[in-house]
Amino acid sequence: MGSITFNHVYKRYKGEARPAVNDFHLSIEEGEFLVLVGPSGCGKSTTLRMLAGLEEISEGDLYIDDKYVNYLSPKDRDIAMVFQNYALYPNLSVYENIALGLKLRKTAKHDIELRVNRVARILEISHLLGRKPNQLSGGQKQRVALGRAIAREPQVFLMDEPLSNLDAKLRAQTRAEIIKLQSELKRTTVYVTHDQVEAMTMGTRIVVMKDGIIQQVAPPRELYDQPANLFVAGFIGSPQMNFIQGSVTREDGRFYFVNKRIKLPVPEHHYPGFNRDRNGISFIMGVRPEHALLKADTGREEEEGWVRCEVEMTEITGADSYVYVRLGEQTVIVRTDPDKLHRKDDKLLVSFAMNKVHFFEEQSGDSVSLKGDAQ
Amino acid sequence: MNAWHWISPAKRKRIIKQRYLYLMLVPAFLWSVLFAYGPMVGLYMAFIDYQPTLGKFWSSFFGGKFVGLQWFNLFFAGDEFFLIMRNTLVSSVLSIAIGFVVPIVIAMALNEVRYMAFKRVVQTVSYMPYFISWVIAANIFVTLLSADGLVNELLKLLGLTRDSILFMQEGRYFWGIVAGANTWKDMGYNSIIYLAAIASINPELYEAARVDGAGRVKQAAYITLPMLKPTIVILLILAVGNLLNTGFDQYYLLGNSLNRDYSDVLDTYAFRYGLQNGMFSYASAVGLFKSIVAFLLVLGVNSLARRMKSNSLF
Repeated sequence: MGSITFNHVYKRYKGEARPAVNDFHLSIEEGEFLVLVGPSGCGKSTTLRMLAGLEEISEGDLYIDDKYVNYLSPKDRDIAMVFQNYALYPNLSVYENIALGLKLRKTAKHDIELRVNRVARILEISHLLGRKPNQLSGGQKQRVALGRAIAREPQVFLMDEPLSNLDAKLRAQTRAEIIKLQSELKRTTVYVTHDQVEAMTMGTRIVVMKDGIIQQVAPPRELYDQPANLFVAGFIGSPQMNFIQGSVTREDGRFYFVNKRIKLPVPEHHYPGFNRDRNGISFIMGVRPEHALLKADTGREEEEGWVRCEVEMTEITGADSYVYVRLGEQTVIVRTDPDKLHRKDDKLLVSFAMNKVHFFEEQSGDSVSLKGDAQ
Repeated sequence: MNAWHWISPAKRKRIIKQRYLYLMLVPAFLWSVLFAYGPMVGLYMAFIDYQPTLGKFWSSFFGGKFVGLQWFNLFFAGDEFFLIMRNTLVSSVLSIAIGFVVPIVIAMALNEVRYMAFKRVVQTVSYMPYFISWVIAANIFVTLLSADGLVNELLKLLGLTRDSILFMQEGRYFWGIVAGANTWKDMGYNSIIYLAAIASINPELYEAARVDGAGRVKQAAYITLPMLKPTIVILLILAVGNLLNTGFDQYYLLGNSLNRDYSDVLDTYAFRYGLQNGMFSYASAVGLFKSIVAFLLVLGVNSLARRMKSNSLF
């Protein structure tokens, strides 16, 4: 119960040249925690709203449990939704807010009471049941909004940026609670966020969207380790992946990534991507900050794989330190031990863990190693 | 030391910073002084025996004999007091009851209309009567309700009556006619306030209600109406404050000697005695009585609203 199928779904608005959601084709398994992530205007909320029945589908088919739901009203889809601004009925008490959905579905009074009290216990809001929404803090309101969704016991939970109005500490706390709740309730959950940290920590599978188009669908680890294109590589991960422009040359059967400043050997597992005719094509090498290394510049000639650089600035986040180094015309971020102090204009050598780097075609942005595999 | 020195430096700084805002208040302040507070001097007339003398207003005004509450006593003990009060109160309550509910219903109904062109047309047509003068509006009603008017013709056509009903001649119809005319004239204009209040309701609430399983009626009951409550309460307080302020024009223009027992209200009574019979002091006493009752009503309803944890004016 609770599987969802989007079959080439489009959403077009009048007067807009480009569809807000463009050929969204995806199956969501029962009990899955799927996160839709992307920048503002990428179509993630529109997709969720089409699933909720709050937006009409312009083209394509939508199924919940093999039931065609394109024209079904929200109340008949057996879904519950948590909104960004909580959407609690201000004139009703917390109890009435949670109970309303059940009351409208003509649930027996004693059953409503049981369910509301159980949900209130789970979310630790029993002491708030008599209060009105304006007497609650942001975190409490969000719990009530969650409670309202849970009490209905729907097949599918839909969450539209439910944590974006909370402060950082409360957000992390509520995030953990939602993950715990979802694993306990085992209900299919579709969660929309623009925050990649939220997406990575919550989703069992993540859909990255841009301009209404799915860029990649993958579990968090895979998304991080094997981004399908430049956009995904840049969007997932904080600080974002370093991108270095260059081209690939072949010497004695070996491939090298070269630009004015560097010449680095391409790992063999990337060779299939370069074996095709790639003459004159510019590439971008992507390196995560944790896959770059720094060491002191002794002033001697550059060793193979090490490149001279200058420190621009250092960011200390507590557990880590991020050093921004200038490499020719580009800035590269390197994650280092916070105990090692680097000052502005320090001369250093940087190298990259080549077995962890990514290569993308500059023009298309597609990953060289995953070309043809991306969804 | 001038008054400026009594103001703390922080406040002085704020006043200087907001000087243009204060400048914008000047016309409203002058209006209040000239037309709201200034004329209150004339209330003194209710306590004297004012005898107007041509060209000697001030000497007649301040030189008039002080008679205390004599004019009030005369009004309360008069034969017409209960009749006037009954007409004023019943007619006013009826006008508020109908005229208050209809704009809310119109606003809520218009809010449900999805076809924008239709919505705009209905809105414009419904608030047009507000801009028609009562002289024209009263004539329209008199014509419609005359013995051979449209209403009587329709009633005959539907077989509801054989002979024409003399709406304007029989007093028992008068309160209903005035309430209907008041509502017709003001409903569209008053609904704008509610439409604005509805427009400010967070659309997510309606979406949440739709997901919860609420249809249009339930959405109106659980969201629109409760969210309109503060606006409704404020407007109700203001309306109740005007309970004795029935308005003059419609009663004067729709009333006639045949329906006077129902159409004579405080305003027409004060006009008749004050201006037509020259009893200025008596008319002032009637006017002052009306203002005091209105003030007490506003205080009462406001305190009631506050006790009921609703919005209040102050």
